[in-house]
Amino acid sequence: MSADPSWLGLVEHLHTTPRAFLPMQSQESIELVAGEGIVGDRYRIGVEQGFYSEKPEEGRQVTLFEAEVLEIIQRDYKIELLPEEHRRNITTRGVPLNWLVGKRFHIGACLVEATRLSIPCRHIEEILERQVFDAMVHRSGLNCRILEGGTVRRGDVIRPA
Amino acid sequence: MPRFITLVVARVLADGPGIRRLTLRDPDGWKLPKIRPGAHLDLQVPGLGARAYSLCGDPAAGDCWEVAVKLEAASRGGSAWVHGLAEGAIVEAAMPRCTFPLEPAATRHVMIAGGIGVTPFLAMAPVLQRLGVDWVLHVLHRGPAPCPAALMPWIEAGRAICHETGAAPRPDLAALLGPYTEGLQAYCCGPALMLDAFAEATRHWPAGRARIEHFTPPPLPFDPSARPYTIRLASSGAEAELAAGDNLLAALRKLGAKVDASCEGGICGACEVRWLEGEPVHRDRVLSPERRRTHLMACVAQCASDRLLVDL
Repeated sequence: MSADPSWLGLVEHLHTTPRAFLPMQSQESIELVAGEGIVGDRYRIGVEQGFYSEKPEEGRQVTLFEAEVLEIIQRDYKIELLPEEHRRNITTRGVPLNWLVGKRFHIGACLVEATRLSIPCRHIEEILERQVFDAMVHRSGLNCRILEGGTVRRGDVIRPA
Repeated sequence: MPRFITLVVARVLADGPGIRRLTLRDPDGWKLPKIRPGAHLDLQVPGLGARAYSLCGDPAAGDCWEVAVKLEAASRGGSAWVHGLAEGAIVEAAMPRCTFPLEPAATRHVMIAGGIGVTPFLAMAPVLQRLGVDWVLHVLHRGPAPCPAALMPWIEAGRAICHETGAAPRPDLAALLGPYTEGLQAYCCGPALMLDAFAEATRHWPAGRARIEHFTPPPLPFDPSARPYTIRLASSGAEAELAAGDNLLAALRKLGAKVDASCEGGICGACEVRWLEGEPVHRDRVLSPERRRTHLMACVAQCASDRLLVDL
């Protein structure tokens, strides 16, 4: 851990879903498996059933989204987007996700590496029946691969590695 | 890329003459996507493609969907397939879409159903009841009533009224609707003749105060503004030349685009495509004027400009 990290955040919400289209379900804790994904989630490598599973990608093992962005979308676009609606796994607070591509950081006891920024997709508009695509451009979260697995709980600290 | 939702047939009930009501769930009991009252589900019928059925269960039930399907001898094969499904069967469906929504600002809702056309109203009824607004459902049927088990609570509550048209003359729709007053919203779902009568009875109402759900695509006249054009996919740059009146959906698929479709008559909303440049001739019965500025229905759209660029 950095002696004096420039940022320190929290896990605010956790969500998974086993298959494409189905609603994300809130979880108190999730199990990250190194090199694979989240137990019970649609993008776990080997048992994938996600909308984009035909385009395999390491960085979909776990995905993150900033709680602050939900508030900004509400403020700027008057669109209420709930934590279960952005379809990423971990809703963070106090984590500068857009600055972390290529970096490693801890989520609770787990270690992940950010591979790329998430991009919004029209699929989410189909599911939500709301035009949220434009509001999510450039702030659609972060894709990560899991280096060290373990349990992540709501309220866990997120910090630079 | 999974294009469909996998569902298991959890329960099959006979509910009225030639009608089967299916309860569909996620195979693991996971919650299903939220639905709006009036939404329909495109079930994927093997060998036939998508067939649209109104969702008739309470939208508040988060983990199951219901459809009620009448066996139609003259159908395109979808109803026979549904009637052959047993409990435990696995089916696939596209995301439900709502092209027949409730009007949230209305204070009184009058719904007129013809036979199995009662299904979207069975989903609207519990929602309206919870909202505490005034509503009435008139069900016109010949012989036994459709979906009696689902209708019975509303009949007993004085909300649903059945009109058996085999024994008595068909009631005058204008009389059932009454004169238009502020806050009134009317809906009709049923056979084509009933829809025509409903449209006639509400012809002088303010725009949007009378909504129709189509069962079958209405025949489309040739649009005189349509002309030959070049269709181009934005992603690949693939192009094709179309004659005026050519089917855009078929052309898009030939160019390699994956576009869903169901009714193929401009009423179900399955083949909605975002367009970027050009001048589409819409001809659908489902897109709002605002939505038409950015989207078209590929099954019926034509083009009044030389080129049409679509976001595919």
